[in-house]
Amino acid sequence: MKKSISFAMALTVALSATASAVPVWADDVTNLTIWSPTDTAAIEEWWVEKLAEWNEAHPEIQVSREAIDRSDSYAYDNKIATAVTSNDLPDIFYVDGPQVSYYAANGITVPITEYFDEETMSDFVNSTVTQCTYDGELYAISATESSVALYYNKDYLKECGVDVDDLDSRTIDNPVTWSELAEIAEKCTTDSYVGTHIIMDHGEGLPYALEPMYLSAGKDYISEDGAEADGYVNSEEAVATTAYLADLIAKGYANVDPITDEFLNGACATMLGGSWDMATLEASADFDWGVTYYPVNDDTKTAVSPCGDWSAAVSKDCENVEAAGEFLQWLMSTDNVASYAAAIAKPATRTSAYETEFMAEYNDGPRALFVEQLQSNAVPRPRTPSYAVFSADYAEAMTNIFSDAASNEEVDEDYIQSELDTVAESFTEDYTTYYAE
Amino acid sequence: MAKTSKLTGRKRNERVAAYGFVAPAVILLIAFLVVPMIYTVYYSGFKYQIMRPNDMTFIGLDNYTKLFQDKNFWLAFKNTVYFTVIVVPCQCALALALALLVSKKFRGVAVFRTMYFSPQLTSMVVISVLWSVLYNANPNTGLINSILVTLGMEPINFLTNADTAMNAIIFMSAWQGAGYQMMIFLAGLQGIPRDQYEAASVDGATKFKQFLYITLPGLKGTIKYVIMITMIQAMKLFTQPYVMTQGGPKNSTKTLVYYIYTQGFQKGNFGYACSIAAVFFVIVVCMSMAMKKVTAATD
Repeated sequence: MKKSISFAMALTVALSATASAVPVWADDVTNLTIWSPTDTAAIEEWWVEKLAEWNEAHPEIQVSREAIDRSDSYAYDNKIATAVTSNDLPDIFYVDGPQVSYYAANGITVPITEYFDEETMSDFVNSTVTQCTYDGELYAISATESSVALYYNKDYLKECGVDVDDLDSRTIDNPVTWSELAEIAEKCTTDSYVGTHIIMDHGEGLPYALEPMYLSAGKDYISEDGAEADGYVNSEEAVATTAYLADLIAKGYANVDPITDEFLNGACATMLGGSWDMATLEASADFDWGVTYYPVNDDTKTAVSPCGDWSAAVSKDCENVEAAGEFLQWLMSTDNVASYAAAIAKPATRTSAYETEFMAEYNDGPRALFVEQLQSNAVPRPRTPSYAVFSADYAEAMTNIFSDAASNEEVDEDYIQSELDTVAESFTEDYTTYYAE
Repeated sequence: MAKTSKLTGRKRNERVAAYGFVAPAVILLIAFLVVPMIYTVYYSGFKYQIMRPNDMTFIGLDNYTKLFQDKNFWLAFKNTVYFTVIVVPCQCALALALALLVSKKFRGVAVFRTMYFSPQLTSMVVISVLWSVLYNANPNTGLINSILVTLGMEPINFLTNADTAMNAIIFMSAWQGAGYQMMIFLAGLQGIPRDQYEAASVDGATKFKQFLYITLPGLKGTIKYVIMITMIQAMKLFTQPYVMTQGGPKNSTKTLVYYIYTQGFQKGNFGYACSIAAVFFVIVVCMSMAMKKVTAATD
């Protein structure tokens, strides 16, 4: 009798299991691989948790992620380049905003427009939609945005006699001007402090963080169609903008070789820093600090701020683009975007994300400033297939110009012109060689 | 007749065994050196954007024509030669001095040998990061500048000044590499018979004369080998400028290998990068042959 009961129970369990789950055979499973840069522990955990959630709900599409070390500014892109030559690309990979055009123009990524309808896209901030669009098609999609603003050490600025209340009261229509920034930097530069900090990563950080200065002066790096650099990056306005920045270095108001976390370590009074710096400052700064809008050119007063962040793109080698599209739709849902943005401490790309509890901190206070900039004056970096060449050459030219200014303690405008001319020439050569029709 | 046939059979077997032993090395050499080299020369004849491997256009020798007119190529060549010319004698002399020092028998010599050799055991990337901090222009962070300031001197922008950056890399490289050559010299010193020194000592030769007339001639073969490998290593300089200066400031640390990397991977000009790599290979071979001829002439 006991045996019959046991058999009946086993049969019941087996039958119920068969009835409640549809078996998925190995051949029916699509395996997708994602590459994205290594990140903080919070983001690494986010990925583990979210992929487990997806894989459980979608046995037919199994997704795994490989975290790729970014090392330096261009190391991640080099990894992609190597994978292209060895036909070893993953199904989905993250690309930095301005590289979207480069990969799209070279056929490395495929359009994903059809997976995001108009209503969904209208929820994303314009800056990210523009950055991820090339030739009228959406080639990538991002959960987060970035921005840069002027951080200041309130305690130290007060010591130097700078009107901190005035800085605190600035609005997006009345930001600090370049001359005001230089004045503050001059007042605050001593043997132990420099007045300001410019992102000196010798790589993409330079064109990213400094582009609004050029735009504020009246000329972008590259023409709007992405085809011309001559007359733009080497224009009169560009030389004057670069000279202003080099002057900060020449006068010792900014370091050409800053220490790591110079602002956090209390070694500089102000910093043109990213939205990502805020979380670190909130957690670790042992001084009172504030943040105000990106500085503007004295003459034009045009307010511009940088934007752009890592976006997910589907590679040409993906065998099941539909599955990848479906996964990206889920990955970019409001809740996922909000929780990802909260974990990585960056502004979210979806407007609806700010209505969730994850983004509560971005609705007022210092973080709201970045959202305000993104929604009102953010301009994406140039969309050109020759961006990789431009970025490397511009970063090299700026490093050379800053080093020259630091060594000679004065600004040589002829040298600036020649360096920027080289950037323009190199861009033109690349564009005409590979992309011009 | 039977004996001859047996010997021939043994010889044949020996030959087969010899080929068997050599085969793995030859196969690996062909797979990882000869074939890539042939591909490099092949790709150098194409307009080849790294992102477009299926869209190559044959352009003959255009990449080479461009290369010889490229001022950055010549600058990288000049920097590479400068580094090699300075670092080879400095590093070899330092290695020899260290080898002579630790060849003596005294208490704790093994500790010194380990200390001098230890930079070799550390990754060049780690060493470069470490020295970037040591060289930092800010006296509060950079140890060397902190010492200079303490001594009442002005801090030096070691890595951000075009006049000092390459020399700073040379100093660091010589420090890092000398330990390895020291070990080779040490092995060479062990091969010099002690009785030669004893005889010289009896004849009243000073230590300097013993070094000049016994040690140096005794190390001739070792010196040639060390110079040759140091020169080839120096020509391939990449990691230090990649980590410490990114080829700057003002291109003062841009070397040929670094230039190949930036052209091929950062800018995607793979065909052009291959042409630089092919020319670089010829340069290294020519310099090695010239070095061999020079050292042969001294025999």
